Amino acid sequence: MKVETGKNIQVKDVSPSGIKIIWQEIKKDKLAMGSLIILAAILLFVYGASLFMDAKEIAKVDFLSIYMEPSSDYWLGTDYGGRDVFGQLIIGTRNSFTISLFITLFTAIIGLSLGLLAGYFGGATDNVIMRIIDFVIALPQLMFIIVVVTIVPIFNVYVFILIMTMFLWTGKARLIRSKALSERELDYIHASQTLGTPHWKIILFQLLPNVSSLIIVNFILNLAGNIGLESSLTFLGFGLPESTPSLGTLISYARNPDVLENKWWIWVPASLMILVLMLSINFVGQALKRAADARQRRG
Amino acid sequence: MTLLKLDNLKVHFPIRGGFFRRVVDHVKAVDGVSFELQQGETYGLVGESGSGKSTTGKAVVKLNEVTSGQILFEGRDLASLSRREIKPFRKDIQMIFQDPYSSLNPKKRVLDIIAEPLRNFERLSPSEEKKIVQDFLDKVGLSPESIHKYPHEFSGGQRQRIGIARSLTLKPKLIIADEPVSALDVSVQAQVLNFLQDLQQEFNLTYLFVGHDLGVIRHMCDRMGVMYRGRLVEEGKSEEIYENPQHIYTKRLIAAIPDLEPEVREDKVQLRKKLTSEYESTYSKYFDENGRAYDLKPISSTHRVALQ
Ligand SMILES: Nc1ncnc2c1ncn2[C@@H]1O[C@H](COP(=O)(O)OP(=O)(O)OP(=O)(O)O)[C@@H](O)[C@H]1O
Ligand SMILES: [Mg+2]
Repeated sequence: MKVETGKNIQVKDVSPSGIKIIWQEIKKDKLAMGSLIILAAILLFVYGASLFMDAKEIAKVDFLSIYMEPSSDYWLGTDYGGRDVFGQLIIGTRNSFTISLFITLFTAIIGLSLGLLAGYFGGATDNVIMRIIDFVIALPQLMFIIVVVTIVPIFNVYVFILIMTMFLWTGKARLIRSKALSERELDYIHASQTLGTPHWKIILFQLLPNVSSLIIVNFILNLAGNIGLESSLTFLGFGLPESTPSLGTLISYARNPDVLENKWWIWVPASLMILVLMLSINFVGQALKRAADARQRRG
Repeated sequence: MTLLKLDNLKVHFPIRGGFFRRVVDHVKAVDGVSFELQQGETYGLVGESGSGKSTTGKAVVKLNEVTSGQILFEGRDLASLSRREIKPFRKDIQMIFQDPYSSLNPKKRVLDIIAEPLRNFERLSPSEEKKIVQDFLDKVGLSPESIHKYPHEFSGGQRQRIGIARSLTLKPKLIIADEPVSALDVSVQAQVLNFLQDLQQEFNLTYLFVGHDLGVIRHMCDRMGVMYRGRLVEEGKSEEIYENPQHIYTKRLIAAIPDLEPEVREDKVQLRKKLTSEYESTYSKYFDENGRAYDLKPISSTHRVALQ
């Protein structure tokens, strides 16, 4: 009994860490909690199931079973090449999510490094980095992508991730920079400097933890945005080829009026999947956003 | 023995403006300040807000670029050293910051905060490190369990003690205390000040004490300098300045100290009125045509005043 009370006090002594606050905030928010469960279920299923699927087999054209309606053989019917839509949906969701994840990850790494450097050092370093950002923003993004898509001999997932990363890091860099700029004026950074801590250590171990909540929130919200991004580009015809199924490929079949009107099984499931993924990631992201800002917390 | 000597120190901040963010002018935050600190003494810098007190203190620990002048610490000019060359001196010169809320990293435990300087200069095992940190926590009157807590779990006074403990771990010779109590409650102020004095005895510290509260400075300091717009206008022993101020700005600063006794309150009002008119009539005796204070001139062996 005594031991127990002692333990309780100990637990209270420990300050709520970032992860704990986030978890509490999600638990308080039913929508976020539901979203998290749905998201986890979809991702587990998709990544699990795709392990047992043969992507080549699914991509194989079979003229004997074109545009078949959903049945027990083909759960979600087939497309104009007689390919199983359900299989494409699984692989496509996996591809789309992986692409989004990597784009978000890479842009976060670049944006974080440059943003921290610009914000911490300020002055000339900041100037150079900001001019680079201005330059990238000034580039006509869509035109660039179209040109790359047409001249690159093999356009695959990696190339797609690479060129999207090239354009999308700027927003993050600016966000992190402005936060770092205001943090570096605080005395704890000055204190570290007078204590003889080298710059790189101050950036990594003093500054970074204080911008981390901002990064996490931005990361999650970007993840949702980037899923939609891939799909819309593919829909416009500048995304991935049919040989790499993605949610965008499935939806872009709806450009054919016949498919749009009569063959709902091809594009509706993929559209719903995008909607559900984006919404649920967003709801979780909103809860995280509140967790990061003490004034908005519910719990 | 002279520990620190500032010689005609100037810190000018550029003001950028216009389309290309060119330097259009300078803020002369510190504009030719010279004084000396003897080993073991407490030297106070007073002045109104924006007079350049913090900038002077920060220049000594290289938080500001020095525009010109010398900062001689044990005879070596710190102003001319690069960031790398200055590192060994970091051990000897430490700073206590004004704001106990922003001067401790909110994401770090007390252990990591206080051990940070140790980790930069010494190779210690985690248990040795912990022991040293706990010793210092004990010295500043915080419980040993505090090491696993985060700054937000402490009061302002306790946080300032954590900051003080951090500045002591490397056994510095000189501590720059930038208004160490101005963010604290009056009841805690005296406590922290006395405590700083005890530490001075124990560790044989020299303080450069920055503040705008003349009462506090007088209580703490052997000698003080009065700053006005980046220049020293008067310097001397604390009693000299307090009892026998010579510069009009010092006189007004002392007259501005609020008095709690009702009888003298009326006198004070009269005195302030008198000083205001004196200020206007004798302005040119103290300031040149640009409103800049003159260079300090000795009026006794210990007392210097900026007179024409
Ligand atoms: N980094 C900076 N860039 C530009 N101007 C600065 C900078 N730091 C200080 N200043 C300016 O220098 C002047 C002196 O500032 P300083 O902080 O030294 O004043 P202070 O005497 O410490 O005042 P306080 O009592 O309010 O702390 C002010 O006019 C301030 O605006
Ligand atoms: Mg100040």
